[in-house]
Amino acid sequence: MIETQAFSKLKPLAESIKQIHLKSLFTGDVNRFEQFHVQTEHLLYDFSKQKINSEVLHELLNLATESDLQPWIEKLFSGEKINQTEDRAAWHTALRDINNPLTEVAQQWRKMEHIVDLMHSHQLRGFSGNAITDVVNIGVGGSDLGPLMVTYALESDKLSIAPEIHFVSTLDARQLQRLLKKLNPSTTLFIIASKSFTTIDTLSLAETAKEWIEEASPSNESTLRHFIGISTNPTKMTEWGILPQLQLEFWDWVGGRYSLWSSIGLSIAFKLGMRGYKDLLAGAHAMDIHFKTMPFAENIPVLLGLVGIWNTNFLDLKAQAILPYDSRLKYFASYLEQLEMESNGKSTRRDGTATTYRTCPVLWGEVGPNAQHAFYQLLHQGTERIMSDFILFTQGQSNSERAKFHQNLNIANCLAQSRALMVGKSSKDLNKNYPGDQVSNTLLLNQLDAFHLGLLVALYEHKVFVQSVVWKINPFDQWGVELGKKLAMDILAHIETHTTEKLDTSTAGILNTIWKQNNEN
Amino acid sequence: MKINVFGSNISALVCAGCLAETGNQVTLIGNRDKERSEPGLLKLLDTQLDAGRLELSTGYDIDADYQIISLEPGNCSEAKLIARSLAAGTNPSTCLIIRSNFTMGTFKTITELSQKPCIVNPDFASEGRAIIGFMRPDRIIIGSHAPEAIKSFKRLFAPFNRNHNVIIEMSPESAELTKYATNAMLATRISLMNELAQAAEHLGADIEEVRQGLGSDQRIGQAYLYAGTGFGGADFEIDLSRIQKIIHDSGSDEGLLKAVSLINEQQKEVLFRKIWQHYNCQLDDKTVAIWGISYKPNSNSIEGAPSLALIKALLNQGCRLKIFDPMLETNFTMWMRETLPLEQQKRIEICADMYEATEQTDALCVMTEWQSFYSPNFETLKTNMRTPIILDGRNLYDKLWLAENQFTYYGIGR
Repeated sequence: MIETQAFSKLKPLAESIKQIHLKSLFTGDVNRFEQFHVQTEHLLYDFSKQKINSEVLHELLNLATESDLQPWIEKLFSGEKINQTEDRAAWHTALRDINNPLTEVAQQWRKMEHIVDLMHSHQLRGFSGNAITDVVNIGVGGSDLGPLMVTYALESDKLSIAPEIHFVSTLDARQLQRLLKKLNPSTTLFIIASKSFTTIDTLSLAETAKEWIEEASPSNESTLRHFIGISTNPTKMTEWGILPQLQLEFWDWVGGRYSLWSSIGLSIAFKLGMRGYKDLLAGAHAMDIHFKTMPFAENIPVLLGLVGIWNTNFLDLKAQAILPYDSRLKYFASYLEQLEMESNGKSTRRDGTATTYRTCPVLWGEVGPNAQHAFYQLLHQGTERIMSDFILFTQGQSNSERAKFHQNLNIANCLAQSRALMVGKSSKDLNKNYPGDQVSNTLLLNQLDAFHLGLLVALYEHKVFVQSVVWKINPFDQWGVELGKKLAMDILAHIETHTTEKLDTSTAGILNTIWKQNNEN
Repeated sequence: MKINVFGSNISALVCAGCLAETGNQVTLIGNRDKERSEPGLLKLLDTQLDAGRLELSTGYDIDADYQIISLEPGNCSEAKLIARSLAAGTNPSTCLIIRSNFTMGTFKTITELSQKPCIVNPDFASEGRAIIGFMRPDRIIIGSHAPEAIKSFKRLFAPFNRNHNVIIEMSPESAELTKYATNAMLATRISLMNELAQAAEHLGADIEEVRQGLGSDQRIGQAYLYAGTGFGGADFEIDLSRIQKIIHDSGSDEGLLKAVSLINEQQKEVLFRKIWQHYNCQLDDKTVAIWGISYKPNSNSIEGAPSLALIKALLNQGCRLKIFDPMLETNFTMWMRETLPLEQQKRIEICADMYEATEQTDALCVMTEWQSFYSPNFETLKTNMRTPIILDGRNLYDKLWLAENQFTYYGIGR
């Protein structure tokens, strides 16, 4: 990145723009919104509240070109093995090419559709012969966050014939045990969603679930009617006992955090029907087409990515807040935490050298109106310089007067906060002084349905990809999570053998305390 | 006396036929499409038509003394049209009798529209026993506020009230609710018995023995205490959902009747669950015989029939089916075509003979208590069947004798 001509031109531009207050960029420029927003049929992206001018934008677009973004986009879409450290493609876009699907993708859709049809016609049966009424998705990371975020967001589109969907992810099993107390084993189905089908988090929970079914079920054959497996590893699924007709597959070219578009989205299809699930894919596909075909200057994921780079690498902002003004997007920030930070939270470049510049900022978020009463204080008066994404939907709940009032209140709050962060307010009393000058994006979508949600998620996926290309890192691996997994197995062995040999004194001290307290309990 | 009967359902046809038989001049504004599904009805109508006392027409007799509305429960709007047209130009002393089970309060609207004295006279007879139910009713309920109309009604129904007086007079609202209450009570008894049947299986009791002990209590009585595969019948289920709504709207949210309905839906699949468990959840290589499709004997009515739920469940697990019903008609093939995918339809074989249906099968499900099923030739069954398993959805057979004769027997609650 830093070797590019654009970088060297942007550096001094950043130094001078840092001196200017964000609000003054609007002063006397009535065309600022016109100049710094992009609108498509489905989405409006306003980046006029960024510390940016036409010269900066021009050079950022040059930075993308100099970073070979277009060839990289083509590699992404053609299924080239761009996840080089794992020698895999990152071909999630092929999962949602609804008009021209790969043979294997279409085959899994058919298998999924059959299972969903059985479920919705109450013909998916447990050991007693009763129809399944509850589905528990056991998965972690991408096998959890995507389906959880989407099914929560689209609760109002739930089909009346859909089962209840529950999610369990944490390996302490308390979440699972709490749920099992409420459920009936004869009518509960578990989805074991694991890319490798070896993740201990998921498999340990799956074993606990299996024991729970076994206590009520008369035979092993009937127990296995309660488990659907979704994995890239059919051998492991079969070894575990998943029946062939209840195995759904995806492929190593689907990254875990991009897997909600694959058969991992089964819980979404259970809730919304295959039509709803396909609408989600169609929304993402619409964004794919936009990303692939639009010139960079009108390309929303490209602009969103470049603005992020400008803020991180030139204006030195340290964190990214995600602020949806819609309670249905409760899990959206958690979803993006994984998508962005697991993808671009790296400091090694594709050529194996270390980066000499910052990459992914810390990202967090919360539903806007709630966050206003939590961490907005820090945004308005803290010492940290933050970039925020406000996400807003035009349509309210209904046309009733109360619903309109609430929606107007919601819109007013969203716009007020981004404006307050921008303009601030001076006061001699420092307690009442608001420096402002905090930048933000606003994304406005017409409504929150499967299509628009698919579009929104794909937008962020491509934003992440754009940034990874400029930073020259591979966003599709996650070596950083391996060490902890390995050490956990090592410490588990110590716990099981009750020794602290070769452990550091902190770890040993905590273990000894736990053992002591356990003896006393 | 001259009577117009509006409607084409069994209730309307029976009413028209029986009133003609007692000497009245009846005009039936409807058709005879359903006459074959009720025992004796075809003959009754033919006789009355031949005698000239019954006439089928598209228009009503303007001079009629009685207007009997006996439309389907969902046909409120047609009833209102009829009422409106009766307001003008009919016999001024005519009275209007509503035998349909419309939504509560329809009586009021019809009275206002027709400007005639009205009576609610709910039909309590069940399909399969409709003629005897009309001729010798347990009770004749007259719900009306019009004294002249009540007198007139009593004259018309006198031939059916000879043995002892079974007429009960009440307000129209009470009469409407009595009909719903009757069905709600019957449904509740059946669902309770089906719940108890499950408990009996769990405890090793026999629900048939429990039924006899229970029914002998005079406060309870023997009727409608049979555990089985659940009740069917379109009207019955509509009534149940309507009364559920009435109770809910009146402020109770306890859901007794909702539970009754849910238990019944579950019960329709009871034999499926027994086969499923017997074969350890593996049915895709099995062929199952089904005796009886209609929801009750002596009827071809299949709306809401438990057999349909069983058929769907078995087909979805990959079974082949061989089906026999003494009165199977095109309504079943229509249902198949409308409801089942082609691949599933192909796995159904409709047999002309009850024994043929059992050849090379892995289980026999008895779903309707047609008389011809009461005492089959078990030797033939044993020879025909690949695996001699009988699932007796109506508790018709001697379970001990069957067990001694190498049958695997599953009843309901025993």
